[in-house]
Amino acid sequence: MDPILELRGVTKHYEGFSLRDVSFSLPRGYVCGLIGPNGAGKTTIVKLILGLARVSAGQLRVCGDDPATAEIAVKDRIGFVHEVPTFYDHISVEALASIVRPFYTRWDQPLFDALAREFELPMRTWFGSLSRGTRTKAALALALAHHAELLVLDEPTSGLDPVFRRELLDRLAAYVSDGLASVLFSTHITSDLGRMADYITFIRDGRLVFSSTREEVFARWVVVRGDPGVLDEATRPLFTGVEIGAHAFTGLTDDAPRARTHMAGQDIVIEPATLDDIMCYTGRTC
Amino acid sequence: MLRNALRKDLLLNARHLWGILPWFVWVAYAMSEPDAGRITAVGAGFIGSLMATTIAAREDKLRTSATLASLPVRRRTLVQARYVVACVVGTATYLVVAAMAAVLPWSVQRAAELFEVKTLLLTVTLASMVIALLMPLVIRFGLLGVVVFLGAFQVLGVVLFVAADFFAARSGVRHVFGAVERGIVSLHAGLGQPGPIVETAVIVGISTWLSFRLSVFLAERRDL
Repeated sequence: MDPILELRGVTKHYEGFSLRDVSFSLPRGYVCGLIGPNGAGKTTIVKLILGLARVSAGQLRVCGDDPATAEIAVKDRIGFVHEVPTFYDHISVEALASIVRPFYTRWDQPLFDALAREFELPMRTWFGSLSRGTRTKAALALALAHHAELLVLDEPTSGLDPVFRRELLDRLAAYVSDGLASVLFSTHITSDLGRMADYITFIRDGRLVFSSTREEVFARWVVVRGDPGVLDEATRPLFTGVEIGAHAFTGLTDDAPRARTHMAGQDIVIEPATLDDIMCYTGRTC
Repeated sequence: MLRNALRKDLLLNARHLWGILPWFVWVAYAMSEPDAGRITAVGAGFIGSLMATTIAAREDKLRTSATLASLPVRRRTLVQARYVVACVVGTATYLVVAAMAAVLPWSVQRAAELFEVKTLLLTVTLASMVIALLMPLVIRFGLLGVVVFLGAFQVLGVVLFVAADFFAARSGVRHVFGAVERGIVSLHAGLGQPGPIVETAVIVGISTWLSFRLSVFLAERRDL
């Protein structure tokens, strides 16, 4: 498959935080959910893709090009929505679009107008007086109006009401349906991804935990619950994270068949892990 | 692409640039004072450039740098646009003062004086120097850069006054200001001669070029 986004051993050092050796790719026509707790490195990856920060080591390719050397060509093909869409507060959405428009070679004004109508954007209202949700809608309209091949969304749904969250997810699903565009969706609200993400990439403490198709993730990762007495030196290494309560333990493993084999006959319950389970229990030790 | 970046800076910062209007109120008053035309015009060019130089600090304050840098434009072009905007605004403010000198009924200035080569060159020199000095700071340190730069000047002034008071040598401070004034006056007078014109043009050109290179270097390495 033709990857629209490819990271190989990407490393970025900041003072007090490093993103280390991250590798994953996103084929055309798919949605990738980038998940991880706050401070895991999701926004750093988004910034590297958008050229807002420089890669310390490794290779990053967007649409086959290196953003460092083909900056304009790459950014022309990316649509972005930052976590808190910030533009100049005293500019109307209409004026903002007129400023952004000339930068893009494939800007589609009728499409922007249609999106503005669909999202019910108040075109003459100052950006600063728009609600958080309306700002995100405006940013999304700007991102979609130039036929971006890769949409990069950094926590776009945090702070949004469930109605617009649903609308946004439907819109993104429709956007990739022609198989030409892809979406990288960074979020810590994992319920957003359950329905729409084709790939899940999990970052924790600046390191890649996994990057797989959604089906693989849900097939491999399970949560095991049971009496703490069944945990011993043989069974503990099965888990990538364990939480032990007064009466029961919860363990997370990415090797469901092995867990089933090793713990067969024990007083345990094995359930498919949710993305929340994976985020919560990975690396947890008691 | 430079045209788009330039347009972006002018449109996004129009309100900020209107902040120069109070200066023009004072200019309008000053037009009734004999010999005030040249100094107000030079000052207008200088202040216009200074205000336009702080656009990057404004982006920093409004946290829009990341958004604007996500657009398909090189950072080098964004920096280039900043320098051009500073020049354009400086020129525009100069021309407004010249127009006021010519049009205001109470003006006692001769507009032609404001278009003498030496007055124009003095304006270009002072405006270029403030741009060359301030732009890299603003681009690298944003709002903090401007505050530190202007704060450092304030502190330096206070220290000078306190030191002068302490050593009972207020005349020393007067000498400093007097020297600056004499320097500007002699530069203005010298800019009528071919030699100083060339020398000043070379210094202004080199310092602006170095400042631009430094600003681009800093902008391209800044993580947003």
